[in-house]
Amino acid sequence: MKDLFSVKTLWSILYFFIGMALLGGIWQLISYLTKNEVPTPAMTWEVFKEVIKDPFQNDPDTKGIGTKLLSSLGRVGIGFGLGSIVAIPLGLVIGSNKIAMHIFNPIIQLLRPVSPLAWFPLGLAIFQDSPHASIFMIFICALWPTVLNTAFGASSVSQDHKNVAKAYGFSRWKYIKRILLPFSLPHIITGLRLSIGVAWMVIVAGEMLSGGIGIGYFVWDEGFNGGSVEKILVAIIFIGVIGLILDKCFTFLQKRFTYAV
Amino acid sequence: MGDAIKVADSILNPILDTPTSIEVKDLTVSFKTSKGVFTAVKDINLTVQKGEIISLIGHSGCGKSTLMGTISGMTKPTLGEVYANGKEVKGPGPDRGIVFQNYSLLPWLTVYKNIYEAVDSVLKDLSAAEKKELVEKNLKMVNLWEHKDKLPGHLSGGMKQRVAIARAFAINPSILLLDEPFGALDALTKSSMHVELLKLWSLDNREKTIVMVTHDIEEAIFLSDRVVVMSNGPAATIREIVDVPLPRPRNKKQIVHDEAYMAIHDKLLNLLIDKFSIED
Repeated sequence: MKDLFSVKTLWSILYFFIGMALLGGIWQLISYLTKNEVPTPAMTWEVFKEVIKDPFQNDPDTKGIGTKLLSSLGRVGIGFGLGSIVAIPLGLVIGSNKIAMHIFNPIIQLLRPVSPLAWFPLGLAIFQDSPHASIFMIFICALWPTVLNTAFGASSVSQDHKNVAKAYGFSRWKYIKRILLPFSLPHIITGLRLSIGVAWMVIVAGEMLSGGIGIGYFVWDEGFNGGSVEKILVAIIFIGVIGLILDKCFTFLQKRFTYAV
Repeated sequence: MGDAIKVADSILNPILDTPTSIEVKDLTVSFKTSKGVFTAVKDINLTVQKGEIISLIGHSGCGKSTLMGTISGMTKPTLGEVYANGKEVKGPGPDRGIVFQNYSLLPWLTVYKNIYEAVDSVLKDLSAAEKKELVEKNLKMVNLWEHKDKLPGHLSGGMKQRVAIARAFAINPSILLLDEPFGALDALTKSSMHVELLKLWSLDNREKTIVMVTHDIEEAIFLSDRVVVMSNGPAATIREIVDVPLPRPRNKKQIVHDEAYMAIHDKLLNLLIDKFSIED
């Protein structure tokens, strides 16, 4: 808290605004060059105000932007949560056991490069239901970064820590709880951070395919089909800001659980 | 008549013979490396009495730590045996407390928790209250009770080493193994740690056997009853064992002017430097 108002923070706030002004300038320029095919920031601002009016409206035929975002976040949360529940233990096993590493590594390397969208029809075939298929897609693509980072963390527990466990006869459970997990935690959080980033990116594409209530479908339906480029831009801003917030949350956690030796 | 002798023996023997604490017999340790088999130490024989403090001294890579590792049970002998308290060493055990070169505290646990987890793991049969009492006693002994809630990252090197020593003492081992325990400390902190270690050892009626790896001659003499000088590796052996018959308690300031001290210091220096010149 004490360096909240330090000179350093002031500078970083200043740089942030310089960056934003630059972005706004480029945007304005593009609008000018495309003869307002891409609306100006000011035009977008007007639509923005309209869009955020009554954000949590939840009538059967009209939903507020907040309701849509929450619905998308909900899907991301479930898919990401389920993915993490599988990925963290799997990563710990792979990282601490050579045999498990040899068995699972080829599977991961084979499935990881598959585009998330390719999983969507498979999800549809399995669940016969598009919201579930979206969650399935998020689940799959949220797995890989967490598995790989967790495995890396678990495999790099230092010899010093292992020696302590050996010298003082730690039980397996105590080793997991007091050495393996705390040591791997910063790596696990890095994995989660990357996973939630991927998940949030993928949900937009997924919802374009699946329809329903959500920010992705908003872009497609009200933005593109509705002929409002302003709404597409508003959605992009929302997606970006929420992605940034999610990332910052995990960065904070990462700092919190990293220890000086 | 024969009976009387037997009885007298049974009374006198325990008094006259100090029991053996550590016995190393014909020890050889080799490691398989990518370049073939590397023999670290070869044909080592060493007997340490209960309550004795001995130092293993030698140049870097002479196998001091390997020899120590076989006593702690962290390293397996290739040939020969090691006995601790009469039992063959098969792995680390609660009768041997280890203080590592780089403290090896768990950085995510508080000072208190670092010791508690070791106590909890080794002395499973104690009640939670007894374990807590043990941790408290040992932390107070090294004057770190007021720092009990700090993480190791917030402590100085000397304090970290005191935590590591308290942890080793807390499980109340009969043998204490110190692997270059003060190597990373500055000279002043090091001196006070020496005195502190001897204080802890004396508080415990000088019953603990201490084996310490070091490459500091002054440290070895000040602390030890005997200094084991190792020859250079590979296939290092014991070059000579130098007795340090200086009376205890020893005074750091006075001892350096003692003639016996100076003679031992010279001898050790010659043993170590002699080898150095042959190497060149």
